[in-house]
Amino acid sequence: MKCVRCLTDNASKVAEAPDGSKAWEVYVCSRCNFVWRSTEEPEVIDPEKRDPWFQLADVDVDDILVFSPVPPLRK
Amino acid sequence: MEESGLRGFLKKLEKAGQLVRYTDEVMPEPDIRLIGRAAVDIAAGNTGPAVLLDNIKGYKGKQLALNVSGTWANNAVMLGMDKDTPLKDQFFEFARRWAGGSDGELKWVKNPPCQEVKITKDINLYELLPLFRVNKYDAGFYFSKPAVITRDPEEPGSVDKQNVGLYRIQVQGPDTLGIQVLPFHDGGIHLRKAEEMGVALPVVICLGVHPVVSLMASAPLQYDKSEYKYAAAFMETPMNVAKALTADLDIPADAEVVLEGEFVPRERFVEGPFGEFPGSYSGSRRQFRIKINTVTTRKNPIFENLYVGRPWTEHDTLIGLNTSATLYFQLRETMPEVKAVNAIYQHGLTIIVATDNRFGCYAKTVAMRLASTPHGTSYAKNIILVDGDVDPFNLVQVMWAISTRVRPQKDVIVIPNTPGMPLDPCSEPPGVGAKMIIDATTPAPPEVSREVRMVENLPDAEPYQKILMDLQKAAR
Repeated sequence: MKCVRCLTDNASKVAEAPDGSKAWEVYVCSRCNFVWRSTEEPEVIDPEKRDPWFQLADVDVDDILVFSPVPPLRK
Repeated sequence: MEESGLRGFLKKLEKAGQLVRYTDEVMPEPDIRLIGRAAVDIAAGNTGPAVLLDNIKGYKGKQLALNVSGTWANNAVMLGMDKDTPLKDQFFEFARRWAGGSDGELKWVKNPPCQEVKITKDINLYELLPLFRVNKYDAGFYFSKPAVITRDPEEPGSVDKQNVGLYRIQVQGPDTLGIQVLPFHDGGIHLRKAEEMGVALPVVICLGVHPVVSLMASAPLQYDKSEYKYAAAFMETPMNVAKALTADLDIPADAEVVLEGEFVPRERFVEGPFGEFPGSYSGSRRQFRIKINTVTTRKNPIFENLYVGRPWTEHDTLIGLNTSATLYFQLRETMPEVKAVNAIYQHGLTIIVATDNRFGCYAKTVAMRLASTPHGTSYAKNIILVDGDVDPFNLVQVMWAISTRVRPQKDVIVIPNTPGMPLDPCSEPPGVGAKMIIDATTPAPPEVSREVRMVENLPDAEPYQKILMDLQKAAR
């Protein structure tokens, strides 16, 4: 399934409303870790309506900045 | 026996008229965000209530608490004071309790309430907890008020070096969390050591704890000071802790929800953005990941979260006085002329210090001292100095001092190219900034100033306030 943020085919359903109401489902993208609920506003879950500033399409996730670099192993 | 933990505190809030129950059905998004925003917006962060919701669509029956520490009225209740107590008086009571330092006592209890329910299989946090997107463009559903507990892997037996920190956490999978721990955080020191050793650092995340535990988790305490001991001293009662089930970590015995797991060592994963406390979104970063293997809860647990975004929010109230008190005591170690510190604005990006001038231009050295404290080094961007008899928490008084004391050519100083706070949206590059000092104190000899007499304070007028307010009440 397509991720609404990075637009790759790495998203899948991970949860349903626990009260059995079938009110919504939750999806996670395993590439960019975006998470959304099926009932959210279009500006959040519709790629056409999302603010392009927050999109991660065409971004190599391995190039994203690291705040805490992995330190060298002790010898 | 009086109930402790978050539940006990919610009862106190209810008694003080500071808790409301929201029973109408709401959507997780955007309704919860809007209710959290509204609760803190009432009277600009002063009198709004905590909110308990139990009718969230899809999560029916699950309980969520918002705005628990969100307003000064709730803060006053935490301090055992009348909810109308002025902020300056809250600051001094806060500082009195804070001075108890790390002398508090811990009591280890067996079979704690936080382990009444135990889940080790098919953990799905999206279904267990009423999660919601805090701000519209956040990367997902966040824990914005967790207590994250780790130990120093080199000294795993040290309770004092055990850390309780408040770090933002994104739920990135049913049993997977992304977490921002920065290198200068105490938890960051634990993580660096564990990664150098090539081991997975055990971690416990507690959700729904007494507000004093959140207060200490978010305070800039020294590395070898125990947040729990500080909390016990602050509450003036021993703090009940228990052992986690899967690691030698101490947890608040009455926490509502406890997530146990391990950091994934030596790997980073995309996390963010998240609407942060300066009122701006952080970028996406590659950060640490946690895998959860055990969840324990109280029966019918209350999940607690906070709204953070454009200030004023619960985050500001939560960290306002602990930042102020930390700086107050650090300054007074060598500068007893300092009377009070107001560092409630964006974690101390702007700070107002009330101080007497020991001699001419002394106040400016107070500012320099402030700018070189551990916290002030990166924060403390705008430093305003007022006389010792000005209430730094009363902005009308502060503006009066600036209006009538500041000689711009002498009293406004900018120090360029200093450390800055990366989350400050005008720190460019992130982490670099400048300091501005505005000295609004009255000049002292040998500095010369114009001969003038200010109108005296009228403390004798204060009792008349009550008389007038009673008359006003009677006139309604």
